[in-house]
Amino acid sequence: MHRFITKAVVTASALCLAITGLAGCTKKPDEANNNAVVGITQEPGIFDPHTVVAAGDKEILFNVYEGLFKYDYEGNLNPCLATDVEISADASVYTFTIREGVKFHDGSDLDAGDVVYSLKRAAGLLDTQDGTALVSELDPVKDVTIAADGRVEVTLESPSTELMCYFTTGIIPEGYDNCQAAPVGTGPFKFESYTPGQSVILVKNENYWQKGLPYLDKVTFKVCADMDAGLTELAAGSIDIFPYLTPDRVSQLDSAKFNVLSNGSNMVQVFALNNAVEPLNDLRVRQAINYAVNRKDIISVTMDGTSVELATAMSPAMGSYYDTSLDGTFDQDLEKAKSLMAEAGYENGFDITCTVPSNYLIHVNTAVELASELKAIGINLEIKQVDWGTWLEEVYKGRQYETTVIALTSSYAPYDVLERYQSTSDGNFINYSNSEVDKLMAQIPLTADDAERTALYHQVLGLLTADACSVYLQDPTTITAVSTRLEGYHVYPMYVQDMSQVKLAGN
Amino acid sequence: MKSKARYFIGKFIELILTLFVVSLLVFAAFSIIPGDAARIMLGPNASEAQVNLLRAQMGLDKPLIARYGSWLLGIITFNPGTSYAFNMSVSELIGQRLPVTVGMSAIAMLMVIVISYPLAVVSARKPGRLGDQICSVIGHILFAIPPYAASLLLILLAGSVFSLITVGNYVSPSDDFIGYVGCLLLPSFAIALPKIAMSFKFLRSSIIEQRTSDYVRTSKSHGLSDLKILVRHVLPNSNVSSITIISIILSDILGGSLIVEQVFNLPGLGRLLLMAIDRRDFPLLSGIVFYLAFITVILYFLSDIAASLADPRIRLK
Repeated sequence: MHRFITKAVVTASALCLAITGLAGCTKKPDEANNNAVVGITQEPGIFDPHTVVAAGDKEILFNVYEGLFKYDYEGNLNPCLATDVEISADASVYTFTIREGVKFHDGSDLDAGDVVYSLKRAAGLLDTQDGTALVSELDPVKDVTIAADGRVEVTLESPSTELMCYFTTGIIPEGYDNCQAAPVGTGPFKFESYTPGQSVILVKNENYWQKGLPYLDKVTFKVCADMDAGLTELAAGSIDIFPYLTPDRVSQLDSAKFNVLSNGSNMVQVFALNNAVEPLNDLRVRQAINYAVNRKDIISVTMDGTSVELATAMSPAMGSYYDTSLDGTFDQDLEKAKSLMAEAGYENGFDITCTVPSNYLIHVNTAVELASELKAIGINLEIKQVDWGTWLEEVYKGRQYETTVIALTSSYAPYDVLERYQSTSDGNFINYSNSEVDKLMAQIPLTADDAERTALYHQVLGLLTADACSVYLQDPTTITAVSTRLEGYHVYPMYVQDMSQVKLAGN
Repeated sequence: MKSKARYFIGKFIELILTLFVVSLLVFAAFSIIPGDAARIMLGPNASEAQVNLLRAQMGLDKPLIARYGSWLLGIITFNPGTSYAFNMSVSELIGQRLPVTVGMSAIAMLMVIVISYPLAVVSARKPGRLGDQICSVIGHILFAIPPYAASLLLILLAGSVFSLITVGNYVSPSDDFIGYVGCLLLPSFAIALPKIAMSFKFLRSSIIEQRTSDYVRTSKSHGLSDLKILVRHVLPNSNVSSITIISIILSDILGGSLIVEQVFNLPGLGRLLLMAIDRRDFPLLSGIVFYLAFITVILYFLSDIAASLADPRIRLK
């Protein structure tokens, strides 16, 4: 009898182990299928082209909605649903010619009425709206009408030369108001489904106006718990494209199976100093901190040396708007830093906290490196990690902090980048205030001449640097791993996953 | 009979009170932590006007106490409300995730019973023998391994060393049931391991205790075979305590699955719960917590009832 029991036990246990061992001989993606899976670590949430703000949502919707103009991967703004634009001499009326032969995903044709409806909705001008602009940058729009020649005329309340890049706002069918649940656009892919916590699925738009595009039949944006979970899936083949990797993780990938692509992100990573709290309200202290930081070391610790060093509030990727004469202003100089500290009365240093969002490894690592560098001038930086929701509420909105590390908006509009340094701006979380800057920022949208405007931007950057308003660190490189079974993927210097050019390798 | 009814009613009131306290705790915790669902959804690029617009849409502009009140009312009428972040009903969201969590818990529980029961019976036959000692030592080791650590080891072994599985490749049961069970086996095993050890240890000592008691000796002297004694007397008597232990294990497994899901990148309730916290999604978070608490409390309630039926002495205590 007892032999029977022993046998039964052994068999049962062995069976259990065997079944476990076989665990999910789950299927790997078929080599020949004309699909691609993109790994994302941010849960998507908003699919309305006018209320979408979060970068993680925008980069998906880039494939679904299109605006009158559209960015390419080199940062150029090209005509899209408009074939051209005419801007009045005083920059108060923009007139767009609408492209013909474009169909919405629901089969209807794009016409001027759809554009008027969409832009009005974005600017909060529909009768059903209370006047609050959904796309706040379009708030200056006073009216959108169809001109006699069939073109669309956008009239502004006051002249602005800085509005062009917001006409990338998605165009939807006239009268349509169900974009959150069932997005309808003109983009290369149609929205198929969203399963919270799992995926967003897009399928090919057979009637796309750019003939021959897109190549793929289906694109899945798959939600991964974090970067490491995504990497595991990438290595296993259940994800084909995985953006926003760090260099140390990339080095673990099999180079025969993945191409590693990179591009500047046009982001500004900043060691933000709250200008309203002691002792950071003292210019000399802010300068001392700027001189004490070694940006090269920070870049080598956090991004393996791949990023672009920053001296001011704008990335060199912004081209002529960036002022190259500011390069190297704050190269590390410990003697100068120490003497500035002494001048300000802090020769023995001080204690200060740095509140960083724990979900961004790069910012946490940066804070750790900063803490060790600032010791040299006697500053004891205490790192406090908080979750993203807390950071947004306490640091960004509440401004209840001393210092923090964060990356600021990736935008090709120079005005967007600098808008937050106006003393009354919602985004001015460093509590910076300089009436000179306020004046210049008010003047810029009224300046039609490009060279003149560029000079004004340079002046603003010069003032921000002179005031050492914060410590600008790096423009972190965006690194994306792409399976060798795909080609045609481009890393955009902004939050975009453009899948329209992606195709199977060798096809 | 009266004492039985009174006992059940008492337990039932206990159940309702526990659930109420849970809902209060979730509410209290939520009013303390900073963060705003609308702002988190929109990110730092949003203007104040955009945030306020969304807050109004979500109903976040109403005071928290009013929202709690309407939520509590909803729960009583079996309608936990709509998630802020997903704009979907909470029950639908939980329903979507249940196959993972329930499937994993069920498989893990099955593994615990199938492995620990026979092992305990054999081990307890001759305590102190080499086989028994090996089992006990292994049991002690397994007992000390937390499920997330076991998960990582299993992923390393099965995924990287033997390339048996694709981690995180979840298959929905409606698409392919075998694949669904397949992708849950490894995580279930990770959760089950320490529980196997726990249940083994407990059953073994309980059987040994019964075997050394007087009635077994008497039965033996009556000439009953070992197997008959085991099946007729020893196991039923150990059962009363195993009901309790199994309900404890089951609720532990449920909790463990929430963590293991993260490691295996499975779309279960655990990830939904973390997402709800990250995004300050009060209806969703309270819905999930309440749901889990409900299951746990019900489990204990049922096990109390079952134990009291199996052993009437419990009711009298």
